[in-house]
Amino acid sequence: MKICLARALLIYQSLQLGVAAAETPDAATASATASAGGAAATESRWRLGAAFGYGLRSNPLLQSDDIPIVVDLDIAWFGERFFFDNGDLGLTFLDNAQATASVVARVNSDRVFFSLTDTKFVSVGLTGEMLAADTELTVPDRDYAVEMGVELLTDGRWGFLQASAHHDVSGTHEGYEIDVSYGFGWRNQRWYIEPSVGFAYKSEDLNDYYWGVRDSESNAALPAYVAGSGVNYRGRLLISYQLNRNWSFSLAADYERLNDDAAASPIVEEREVLGYFAGFGYRFR
Amino acid sequence: MRPVTAILLLMLPALSCSEDSIGQAMRLTVRPVLCIVDERSRACDMSFLVVWQSEESGYYCVGNDLESEPLRCWTEQHSGELTDRRNVLADFEYWINRGGDAPKLAVVTVEVLRMDSDDRRRRRRTRHVWDIL
Repeated sequence: MKICLARALLIYQSLQLGVAAAETPDAATASATASAGGAAATESRWRLGAAFGYGLRSNPLLQSDDIPIVVDLDIAWFGERFFFDNGDLGLTFLDNAQATASVVARVNSDRVFFSLTDTKFVSVGLTGEMLAADTELTVPDRDYAVEMGVELLTDGRWGFLQASAHHDVSGTHEGYEIDVSYGFGWRNQRWYIEPSVGFAYKSEDLNDYYWGVRDSESNAALPAYVAGSGVNYRGRLLISYQLNRNWSFSLAADYERLNDDAAASPIVEEREVLGYFAGFGYRFR
Repeated sequence: MRPVTAILLLMLPALSCSEDSIGQAMRLTVRPVLCIVDERSRACDMSFLVVWQSEESGYYCVGNDLESEPLRCWTEQHSGELTDRRNVLADFEYWINRGGDAPKLAVVTVEVLRMDSDDRRRRRRTRHVWDIL
């Protein structure tokens, strides 16, 4: 699906170039671009884009593969009250000069790591002890959780702040998460730099569901483990250069430090989750 | 590798200056052709370098669609340049003609691109994997 969309975008861009080339010979008014989209233009309710490049996000789980990113889609729609933002559904109930508040339904993000794990037979336990026989070592499967909560957005010359609290409503982990992010963007014409930091408090139920190991999942190679609550910290840096109205080139680096209880889990091999992406982004305007 | 090459080729219009010409008779170049405004800088305030070159000498005038009169005219010249400082909010065009109501020989559009939004939700951080756009 991602590859199909990439092809469609290329075809779309090719068609645009074709039209421009056809117009140029005859036109005293052959401007290279249409003049829509200036300050007076109405902002579309849609925000559509795609980024093409290469990136990787490390996977902290045992026997897991890193997550490659080649195409990243951005699909969002913002109505007066309702909005859809890359999988998040929202209902805005407060919007004024100081802040915007919405009820948001989303899918939990911890689950993403559990899709790329392998099964191995091991003769040595996680703590280095010899096992009596080769034993299957598998990272337990985990489900996506649908969470609902409240999100508050505010910004100013000092930057932008986002705070949210979400609780599981799908009966998956039955926990909650409180998330706070702060960022600041600098722009110098085509260049844009945006560092941001944040933390996420994860309740005991949430943390234990994803990072704990149930008795029924444990064996000689994988001990049972109960995770308590904890706080993840993260930092991010985005550098972007606007090539023209639609295209930009971006570099992004991302760091997340898992909370103590998640990091101590026998299914976790690395405490830090590192990521980067470099690529060209296309935004429909 | 091929997709990357294709993307690079398709982005050739992204050059930081833009030209317009009719055949090879007249070439008009403006730099820059993209001005970005955001919540900290609501208007585009910058100097534009306008350069023209013609195969034949003559009387030529450069103007833009913000002024009723040409910015400058040249007599018996086949090239010229000027610097024009502007404070604008929307796209506009530079053009060159032979003066008066003569048809435009070349036109270049300067784009003003708004990167801010009145809708705060558009800046929310999603758990979208990279969120770079």
